Amino acid sequence: MSDHEIIEQLKQGNEQAFKRLIDNYQKLVVNTCYGMVRNREDAEDIAQDVFIEVYRSVQHFRADAKLSTWLYRIAVNRSLNHIRDNKKHKWFRSFEKEVEAKNRQLEELESSGSEHPEFELENKQRALILNEAINSLSENQRVAFTLSKYEDLSYQEIAQVMELSVSSVESLLFRAKKNLQKKLHTCYKKKCM
Amino acid sequence: MKCKTVNSKLIFFLEKELKPAEMQAVQEHLDSCPDCALFAEEMKKTLSILETDKVDDVNPFFYTRVKAKLENPETQPVVVGRSLVLRVLQPIAFSVILLIGIYAGIKLGDAGSKSTGNSVLAEKELIPYWNQLDGEPIESFLME
Repeated sequence: MSDHEIIEQLKQGNEQAFKRLIDNYQKLVVNTCYGMVRNREDAEDIAQDVFIEVYRSVQHFRADAKLSTWLYRIAVNRSLNHIRDNKKHKWFRSFEKEVEAKNRQLEELESSGSEHPEFELENKQRALILNEAINSLSENQRVAFTLSKYEDLSYQEIAQVMELSVSSVESLLFRAKKNLQKKLHTCYKKKCM
Repeated sequence: MKCKTVNSKLIFFLEKELKPAEMQAVQEHLDSCPDCALFAEEMKKTLSILETDKVDDVNPFFYTRVKAKLENPETQPVVVGRSLVLRVLQPIAFSVILLIGIYAGIKLGDAGSKSTGNSVLAEKELIPYWNQLDGEPIESFLME
């Protein structure tokens, strides 16, 4: 079933078409959301909301854009909303809950149960550092970086999703990489990796 | 090439996005500077996590959960309600708190001015004990 057929059948409320849509694009949407929010469970929750939004607003979908471009846009917007909501709630979260969350992360690092625990631990520490660095990027830089690295989209495709020019996307990616490097260098100087 | 310059171009070097001449210059520096080489190696390992960090497996219950959420619309309006609270009630609450603060400040200011008035009156009561001209007008007559 092509994308066009899926959309036409979805407009008629065909459940099979909806299942086909999810089967075809679940990985794309979850991966995009994960690249943005850096948490697998949250990414799946957001991805579910993305498909629900698609189901409810498929009548408004114009055929001038690709289905994947539309899905990327909804996934990115929902992920950004989630990140903004989380930032607000962080102010009100108690200090104890923050410590609990950090301890849980450290426990996960220590109890990986693999054959090469030091290697696994080192990798997970690097993943935490990388997460922190990506979280420190501005919204637009994070979106461009995620779409480039997690979905391997070209500059042209990223420009279509973000509704920007190709040169703007180039500039965003350049600044994102510069900022990431700065963060990693600071971390290296402080001997955290 | 200096270490600072190399460090600023390192991520682009690792992504192979530099011009050939710059790539060569950075490579030559890394071959001769162990500190920069070590940082380059660390950065390479950290960035390589992006390749393995992607979501590869598919949740088999994903479609079931989406269907359940779709059929249970009560879960959706909560988000809408919460955003309404944030957008409308929050600014109203802040405005009310601000007005209460201004009102309290004005009341405190009034209370302060009344207490200074009382002290002035108390001073005037003491004055006759210091100024005996009112009590003994003959002195004021002689002075005039």
